[in-house]
Amino acid sequence: MRRCEAGEAFENNTLKTLSGTMREAVKKTFRYAASFLLIVTLNFAIPRLMPGDPVKNLIGEDVYVSEAAMEQLRAEMGLNRPLYEQFTAYIGDLLRFDLGYSYHLHSPVAEVLRDRIAWTLLFVGVSVLLGAVLGTLLGAYAGWKPETKANRLICCGFIALSCTPPYFLALLCLDFFAFELGLFPFKGYYDVPTPGSVIHHMFLPVTVMALFSASRNFLIMRGSVIQEKGHLYAIYARAKGLYDISILFRHVIKNASLPIITLLALDFGFLFSGALFTEIIFSLNGMGTLIYDAIIGKDYPVLQGSFLVIALAVLLANMLADLLYAVADPRVRRPTS
Amino acid sequence: MKKGICIQKSPGQWKDSIAHYLNLDIRKYKKTFKKFNRGGLFLFFFFLILALFPSLFAPYPPTERFVSYEPPSAAHLLGTNDIGNDILSELVYGARISMMVGFATACISTFIGLMIGLCSGYFRGTIDELLMGFTDVVLIIPKIPLIIIIGAFLHPSIWTLILVLGLLSWESIARVVRSKTLQIREAGYVKSARCMGFSSFHIMVSDIFPNLIHVLMPKFMLTTASAMISEASLSFLGLGDTSMKSWGIMLSFAFSRGGFIRDMWWWYIPPGVCIALCVMSIAMIGFGFEGRDEKERRGMDAE
Repeated sequence: MRRCEAGEAFENNTLKTLSGTMREAVKKTFRYAASFLLIVTLNFAIPRLMPGDPVKNLIGEDVYVSEAAMEQLRAEMGLNRPLYEQFTAYIGDLLRFDLGYSYHLHSPVAEVLRDRIAWTLLFVGVSVLLGAVLGTLLGAYAGWKPETKANRLICCGFIALSCTPPYFLALLCLDFFAFELGLFPFKGYYDVPTPGSVIHHMFLPVTVMALFSASRNFLIMRGSVIQEKGHLYAIYARAKGLYDISILFRHVIKNASLPIITLLALDFGFLFSGALFTEIIFSLNGMGTLIYDAIIGKDYPVLQGSFLVIALAVLLANMLADLLYAVADPRVRRPTS
Repeated sequence: MKKGICIQKSPGQWKDSIAHYLNLDIRKYKKTFKKFNRGGLFLFFFFLILALFPSLFAPYPPTERFVSYEPPSAAHLLGTNDIGNDILSELVYGARISMMVGFATACISTFIGLMIGLCSGYFRGTIDELLMGFTDVVLIIPKIPLIIIIGAFLHPSIWTLILVLGLLSWESIARVVRSKTLQIREAGYVKSARCMGFSSFHIMVSDIFPNLIHVLMPKFMLTTASAMISEASLSFLGLGDTSMKSWGIMLSFAFSRGGFIRDMWWWYIPPGVCIALCVMSIAMIGFGFEGRDEKERRGMDAE
């Protein structure tokens, strides 16, 4: 009888947690769907809302077309049809990976982007990971002993880094290491497509971006460790006689790094934009230079396509972080209520 | 600050009597000041004065033209740029524009964040779900690429920049305000005000808002700092207002108009260093506010 009750209670409990998890998951999914929709809608609405002729806004301002051709284009793009029809047509285009045609570069936008984005993702991915590792470790150590001179110095340094625009840092590095000392090449991803050449070319930009990303992680991690080490479990571990290092790296760091995961996802967009500027400085042939040229040439289709792709990348990064969070923190998997 | 120190040195009941008459606790104020980094405060006021009275510090008006591409000399401490403007004067006049963009953006976004956070924290329920859902949705959208698109379509002007930046950077403020409001609305004085029949609006303005200033101030400063960095970045892409030269635009010109290739460090290093220092001083003041808040909370926990 009792066992039966207990079993029922257990079942009830699991059901409740399951439904709780499900509800959370549904909520999350709903939010992601809403953000996706908002991004797509923004991308659809901006060229049509902005001042000026929508045809011009959709094909880019530097293209010269005659009046007759313009009318023809207007009909072709369906700009004289009602808005909801335009929207459904637009969604259909997106599903076929058709992001429009860049008259400036004489090729479809999707193709241009496909060529460029791999390099940018490699660049951003490597530097974000390096930055996360560097920032977390240094931040954990600085938070563990915040009073020492060295840690204070590191802290000041990272605050200064996080307050400097990333492209200015890149500019200084390029000037000093590439121009003055001649240690690194000035531009491009490689001279010959071998890994050695690529690493040689990527070293400076990746260092700059990794430092920038580390500076943000460092500050969060430091605060988080300072907070965590005052908790009872850390004091207990010390009372038990564990070494400082093992308390920090086996117990405190796990709890303290939770905010980092959220921050990494939220920061991904920020770092991505920082990477765009760094690419421009180092003349790397990625999304950054593409966007820079598109701004100068008023090549709107490319700009819109880039925005869409970047926004989707950030969205995916956030979803990944949510999954990681559930892996790292069991409390998320079973809600308390 | 000086007053506090000088009074402390003089003997006797000076301190107490003044504190009594002015109804201030000077010791408390001194403590408050100590939380701030002194260097940060000094730098901030330096830049503020530079921004308010540029004509006192700049040797020439910013549009006056001399021989172009001149290296630093006694007449032009930082040389001249491509169209012959004195770089030091430009730098001094740029402070006003850069700081204005930062503070105006922070004002807009703090206002929006405050409204949304306060409403969703106070009313809870469906409104909370909706507003916070909206906040989460907006949080994901990458700001700078979006601003790049909008900036490319609109004609570059400082006001659109402020407006767009302000409309896009309120999410973290809304979140902080909401969580604080959720705490405060359970406090005794809010409950009693509700029992006495004050309207929600009145309670929000006169009971909850004053308690939010602690969390708003650091956020305000940090938003200002990040807005200044965003402005510098966007100006670098050529999306800034070229008629109002901020530090970001100076950097952009130095990069695109030959300052970098001619190795004119006196052209591109000073604006960058100014941005970094100014942002740092503002962020430090923000950290100062934050630190005070944390200390207070810890004190409360200990009790």
